[in-house]
Amino acid sequence: MTAHRSSAAAVIAAAGLLLAAVTAGRANGNEAPATAADPVPALLNSPPDVARGRALFVGTCGAYCHHMTPGPGDAPYLFDCDWLHGGSDAEIFHTISAGVPNTRMVAFGGALPDQDIWRLVAYVRSASTCVK
Amino acid sequence: MVNRRFAVRAKLSLAFAALCALALPAAAQAPGAGIPGADELGLPPPPTEYPAEKPVGTSAGPATQDVLLKGPANPAQWLHYGGDYRNFRNSPVKSITPANARGLRVAWSAPTGTLGQFSTSPVVYGGVMYFTTSYNRLMAVDAKTGKFLWRYDVKLQPDMKICCGPANRGVAIGGDYVVMATLDARLIAFDRTTGKVAWDTQMIPYKDGYSSTSAPLIVNSMVFIGFAGGEFGASGLIDGYDLKTGKRLWRTHTVAQPGDPNNKSWAGDSWKSGGSPSWNTGAYDAETNTLFWTTGNPSPDWNGDARAGDNLYSDSVLALDPKTGKMKWYFQFTPHDMWDFDGNTQIFLVDTWYNGKKIKALAQPNRNGFFYLLDRTTGKFLRATQYVEQLDWAKGVDAKGRPIVDPSAYPTDKGSRRVCPSNMGGMNGSWTGAYDPSANLIFVPTVEACQSLTKGIAVYVKGIPYYGGTPTMVDSVQGKGYGTISAIDVATGQVKWRYRDPQPMMAGAVATAGGVMFTSTVDGEAIALNQANGERLWSFRMGGSGRGQPIVYEIDGQPYVAVPSGGWAAMGMMTGKYPMAPEGGQLFVFTLDK
Repeated sequence: MTAHRSSAAAVIAAAGLLLAAVTAGRANGNEAPATAADPVPALLNSPPDVARGRALFVGTCGAYCHHMTPGPGDAPYLFDCDWLHGGSDAEIFHTISAGVPNTRMVAFGGALPDQDIWRLVAYVRSASTCVK
Repeated sequence: MVNRRFAVRAKLSLAFAALCALALPAAAQAPGAGIPGADELGLPPPPTEYPAEKPVGTSAGPATQDVLLKGPANPAQWLHYGGDYRNFRNSPVKSITPANARGLRVAWSAPTGTLGQFSTSPVVYGGVMYFTTSYNRLMAVDAKTGKFLWRYDVKLQPDMKICCGPANRGVAIGGDYVVMATLDARLIAFDRTTGKVAWDTQMIPYKDGYSSTSAPLIVNSMVFIGFAGGEFGASGLIDGYDLKTGKRLWRTHTVAQPGDPNNKSWAGDSWKSGGSPSWNTGAYDAETNTLFWTTGNPSPDWNGDARAGDNLYSDSVLALDPKTGKMKWYFQFTPHDMWDFDGNTQIFLVDTWYNGKKIKALAQPNRNGFFYLLDRTTGKFLRATQYVEQLDWAKGVDAKGRPIVDPSAYPTDKGSRRVCPSNMGGMNGSWTGAYDPSANLIFVPTVEACQSLTKGIAVYVKGIPYYGGTPTMVDSVQGKGYGTISAIDVATGQVKWRYRDPQPMMAGAVATAGGVMFTSTVDGEAIALNQANGERLWSFRMGGSGRGQPIVYEIDGQPYVAVPSGGWAAMGMMTGKYPMAPEGGQLFVFTLDK
């Protein structure tokens, strides 16, 4: 009984933290929480995963949308320090997954497997020219 | 212990996913039409329908088939996207000449209130000009004064599937209707005199990757239209609709379907996501009652691994029976395309000399850099000549017109060598050319900017991009891209003269009987050229990037030249220069005083 109550309490506490994070995020104009488990660090240490992320980027995100070099366009350059919808791994995952309404950015969630979307995030990180 | 942590983490992931889904904002009003600051002022959203106060355009009766066929000879009208059914874009107006063109001045101007490229070809009939904007606004204005007569803003979906900007290239007119296709794959007919909607047909689900950007073509009370969507793998279609009711009469697949022996030109199941979109306006030959329509590249654009074979009928011109949509013949320009060389640039139905004989031909400056001449009664290949200055993806074409491909031009995982022309072309289906029958010259705005091509992974799922690769504009990035208006002699296929611009030329053209042609530049100028030699006669700095199709007409002895101004910043990548001019459409109409 005690074990169940503590686990329920842990979930409630975690949900509360999550809600607080989301509310704070919303107040700042961000839309996604940033406290879920992040697969990106592990993917960055896996060359085949980064390579697949790159191949997916080239074949699905590039061309008429996100360019490999800086320049003008409605689809932003993703390899710098500027992020329109939040620059954490979770926020980038969310943007790819949910899309951005009233723009050309479609929702890839449910179309590409989540793991491929995480690989895209990992590739973008690996190719970033942002020095922080 | 481990189980409890796992349970917590699983619940967090679920919570995260659920919150992620909830974070989608509600659908907004027409995109690109927002009024900065309006929310702070507490203004209500503006109306989106502005019907005419009283019927307009009534000096002319319905635009009958006779009018649509013979009307282009009347200088007071501009009835078709292509000027006439043969796509000559040649106005009978004689009063603008190389001697007096420098006197052109602004008569009036009209804003669109939308961002993204302004690529319309206006239509003029009964003293009314109809023009469409990006994001599907339709304006009817007095063709002499520019005064607004009626207006309709289509309410579009927030999750449209568009690859290449929120474009619309114009209405078609027929009877008492003007008809516009939309970015969310609808076809809408309006009463031309009042602006009221007559019918609104959802042609195909837009979520499957479809949109429609071109001006329809109306023949014998049938409306013909194609779709964009190849960049989403959406399978190409050409549709015919009843002008009076909006009901679909027929649908032709541009990808060879099972049952058609040419289906075998697609390995495995690749035909199912074969693209080959039909996104440019076709042409109509009244003499043989033939509808001609062109098709774009096979999908995915830059990765041909899964689609071995010629990929019919991508990158082709199709000759169809307008009543049934059934194919009479086809000719494929670029088999197994891996360069995004859509075969859907403007086709000109010209009568010309070939090998000493007068023939009924079909001429096309193709995206792939070759200028083709075909016999339009049989589809027989006659000749292909290089019209761009830089072409190295192929070494020429063989006796049947099949390109002799240089394999080193194929996309690779690491990026190919520099390949010419770029995927933009040559010429491109998003702008027009013009023909001068008296000189037998076709005027083509061209892009000269080569690329390197990198191959990648495309996953076919309805509604997500399906490119298979990315081009890098190596020339533009180094500031080496440029453009021309090239005057091609139809009889020989040779370029007679070139007008040069330091940037690619990506706007349409119109020629006139007075010997002066018009176009506009990416840098923002409307220009007039001498059709005989390409000499620049006049210019006006409109300010916005030129991406529209100019027209010329004459009312009460006064000539008017309408030129759209306003580009799409993403196209700046093709020129390599960051366009400082902001987006925003504006129509300029010029005139000449006696």
